[in-house]
Amino acid sequence: MKRSYTIASETALIIYFGDRIEPLVSKEVQRAYKALKQANIEGFFELIPSYASLLIQYDILKYRFEQVRDMAEECIEKAPLLEHSEQKIVTIPSYYGREVGLDLELLCEEKNLSSDAIVSLHVKELYSVYAIGFAPGFAYMGEIDEALSTSRLASPRKVVPKGSVAIADRQTAIYPLQSPGGWKILGRTPMVMFDASYEGLSRLHVGDLVRFEPISKEAFLKMGGLL
Amino acid sequence: MSGFEVIHPGVLCSIQDAGRKGVNDIGLTQSGAMDELSFGYANMLLGNAFNTSVIEIALGGLVLRAKEAISIAITGADMSPSIGGRSIEMWQTHTLKKGEELSFGFASSGHFAYVGVVGGFDIPLQYGSASTSIKEGLGGMKGRKLQAGDRLQSFGVCLCETRKLHQKQVPYFSQEIRLDVLKGYQEHLFDKSAQETFFNSVYTYKGEGDRMGYRLSGEKVIPQVSGILSEPICYGAIQVPSHGEPIVLLKERQTIGGYPKIGSILGIDCFKLAQLKPGGRIRFNEVSLEEARNKVLAFHTFFRF
Repeated sequence: MKRSYTIASETALIIYFGDRIEPLVSKEVQRAYKALKQANIEGFFELIPSYASLLIQYDILKYRFEQVRDMAEECIEKAPLLEHSEQKIVTIPSYYGREVGLDLELLCEEKNLSSDAIVSLHVKELYSVYAIGFAPGFAYMGEIDEALSTSRLASPRKVVPKGSVAIADRQTAIYPLQSPGGWKILGRTPMVMFDASYEGLSRLHVGDLVRFEPISKEAFLKMGGLL
Repeated sequence: MSGFEVIHPGVLCSIQDAGRKGVNDIGLTQSGAMDELSFGYANMLLGNAFNTSVIEIALGGLVLRAKEAISIAITGADMSPSIGGRSIEMWQTHTLKKGEELSFGFASSGHFAYVGVVGGFDIPLQYGSASTSIKEGLGGMKGRKLQAGDRLQSFGVCLCETRKLHQKQVPYFSQEIRLDVLKGYQEHLFDKSAQETFFNSVYTYKGEGDRMGYRLSGEKVIPQVSGILSEPICYGAIQVPSHGEPIVLLKERQTIGGYPKIGSILGIDCFKLAQLKPGGRIRFNEVSLEEARNKVLAFHTFFRF
């Protein structure tokens, strides 16, 4: 898919590199992000990468949409390929009990599966981190098994507890802090995902590989998990 | 150093400046004053640079005591401010004597008020800003809202003369607002009738909002899909979950999200929404990219903060 440039607001432009969760597309986004970040163009205030898109927030007193598009395109065209880097595997302990898996029951009904079957579908995959965002330390991971794919809640929850392990579409993530959110919640991890001492404030980084490990309630509590 | 002691913390008061820049890529929110216009005026009246920290008061109820004589400026929502029990005018500077109390009632119009001091408050910057983000525990007073007993340090500068905003510059916080919208993002996922509904209906703000965003109630606008691949979100973005009611994302918005977006409210209009009280009514007005640009340039020519 060719890159496309779309209006996000009067001061922001979004570049689409694809429309699916795909390692190659993600690499393209990272390549463009790194090149633009390094170019350090005056008046480009924010660069926000995600799975298949990159947003540039710019100084409207300086540039028009078309100028930002052309400058970004030129910079991305010239960007060097990313060097191959070793991928780290991170294991996330997760408790999948009903009292923390707030949407397990809903999913059992929706999928006509037992909660054990849902949990085993979630823990069997090795996931890649594609983006960090929403909140600091929130890592977007993919892809979950097609059989687990689900829509977001029609109405987002006002409060999602810290550490909630959740899914939406073919993605999975952990809410690093208590916040509102619309993903369906399967369980909770006692692991700290966000801390000022972590690089980029986050336990996980783009490119990391992640495995979920089911743990008992006792282990969850012992590791500092809160119900 | 001079400054204030917080006697009553009010409902939700926090230190804010223009917010963080260049940190959305690690997931940190922008934060900053919800009403940039009133924030800008408070600093302008005091001769401060635009990006100077102030106290943002949501709803009201704040009482401060001056440790030394100090000049202040008050802008934003009218919360019937008073000094030592005497009611005072908004949109101008005042000077408190040592030990005097500055008190706020509750907002009669608007939602956010601002108290500025010369040079701002002595708050360590985190990620380039003093703005409080309660969710992240960053900025302001240890990342939280003000509480009784807090000491807000500042330079105890007193201005020799009173500075007032010209009456015609004072914004009026209407409960009936029209917001300019530039279509973008997933506009194609909203069919013609959905777009007509969106731009021809009156929405109501029922108070379901905070510094992150405001949910509006009214005619449902159903997007063709319930979710998209999660992508970056900008200030003013209008996302529509499958419940069909728009949510406008403001200063403490998430950096990435997966609900379809029809476009964005112009940044210069967001303060009008932020200042709505529950029951406020909203109409959306479509503008082209060129119109949007001209409006923003005109705004910046008029308000040279």
